[in-house]
Amino acid sequence: MADKIRIDVLTLDSVQCAACGYMMESIAAMPQEIQELIEYQEWSIKNKDGIGKFLELKGKVLPTICIERDLVFESIIPQYEELIDEMAQRAPTPAMAEKIRSLRDKGFEFDKIQENLQKAGAGLKTRTDS
Amino acid sequence: MPKQRLIDAYRGKRTDSPPWVPYAGVHCAFLINEPADKMLQDPDLLAKGVVNAAKRYQADGIPLVFDLSVEANSVGCQLKWWPDNVPSVTTHPCSDRTPTQAALQLPTPASGRWPVIFEAARIAKPRLDELDCVMMGLFCGPLTLASHLAGVRIFTDVYKKKEFAHEVIKFAGEIGAVAAQFYAEMGCEIIAIVDPVASQIKPETFREFVATNVQPAIRVIHDAGRTSSFFICGDCTKVLEEVCKLDTHGFAIDEQLNLLFVRDLARKYNKGFGGNLKLTLALSLGLLSPREDAIVSLAAGGTIGYTFAPG
Repeated sequence: MADKIRIDVLTLDSVQCAACGYMMESIAAMPQEIQELIEYQEWSIKNKDGIGKFLELKGKVLPTICIERDLVFESIIPQYEELIDEMAQRAPTPAMAEKIRSLRDKGFEFDKIQENLQKAGAGLKTRTDS
Repeated sequence: MPKQRLIDAYRGKRTDSPPWVPYAGVHCAFLINEPADKMLQDPDLLAKGVVNAAKRYQADGIPLVFDLSVEANSVGCQLKWWPDNVPSVTTHPCSDRTPTQAALQLPTPASGRWPVIFEAARIAKPRLDELDCVMMGLFCGPLTLASHLAGVRIFTDVYKKKEFAHEVIKFAGEIGAVAAQFYAEMGCEIIAIVDPVASQIKPETFREFVATNVQPAIRVIHDAGRTSSFFICGDCTKVLEEVCKLDTHGFAIDEQLNLLFVRDLARKYNKGFGGNLKLTLALSLGLLSPREDAIVSLAAGGTIGYTFAPG
């Protein structure tokens, strides 16, 4: 069983498209305790890998946040608590779900967004040849 | 009279044929073999890029600049620059305080990159006039600008901390009105509010936060005798009727919508409409034939208020 929650963000391009950018930021701004429990990546449909992921996850619209392969937020930038609830619902263990829910009142943190976005490859693979 | 044709279409009127607008953006830089970050900070290159794209694509209108970081940058947001894309906003001065607490001031013509844009307009305008091509002014709409100012928390605050959200988005709307005034002074005949993230919220949130805060800018545009539009991106199906109820002359959408649905709604509200060419699927990825996409779009759009344009 995976020890982290997998999040895939299907985008046009998180640099060019503001909605895509803030979808990515909604994950990147989750508090550090959540960052340790998740792994996430941007999939821009400007390249083949992104198109492949869009088809694999049966995406319908851009941007979309997928949690554990479920299309959860389709063209809706989530509220903090909505993200917490949807992650907790899909946590691999009850203990992790409880830990996530315990952070429901914590709120977004903005100090490590750029670092977190970099790790998620945001804006780095948005060319047809990337 | 390509210019008048475009203005008529943007105002929802019948035209002899659909006018055409390439939202060329940083593609203008590619066409003149310059990096996007360099072009966007150099008035001569910006004017050169835009005029060159207008000529090459025989445009009826073209945005002077399509960069939604300009307004945020002019009130203090920092940027990350890219050689092949628009800059992205990296800091949010209202992430933990209101615009008043952050001592943010409305921009002046000397703020941020506005001097570059004013100078580029001075150079480009007569050249675009010679081509009978409308110079369009595009600025960042209130919700997207509020996202730049406060970060992603704004999408939670519109439900949980309404007072804070109202203050930030109202300030963003006031910045938009200033930007609209700048573009009117530059001579832009069409001025558009571009609020891509407004598609990512519920209709009631759109009414409460977006519809109210675009009003100052719309007043500025109409008082200057110019034509107004509201550009929205993404799957905006759920808020499109709210978009039609705005006081702008028209609106533009992206490739994710069904153009027949959009056309019928635009006609119901007597609005100009445009966009929807498959920018990603056809023009970028080549998964669809751009030619067939164009033919289908022209057939669906018709000649009442429709502008042929990428989505």
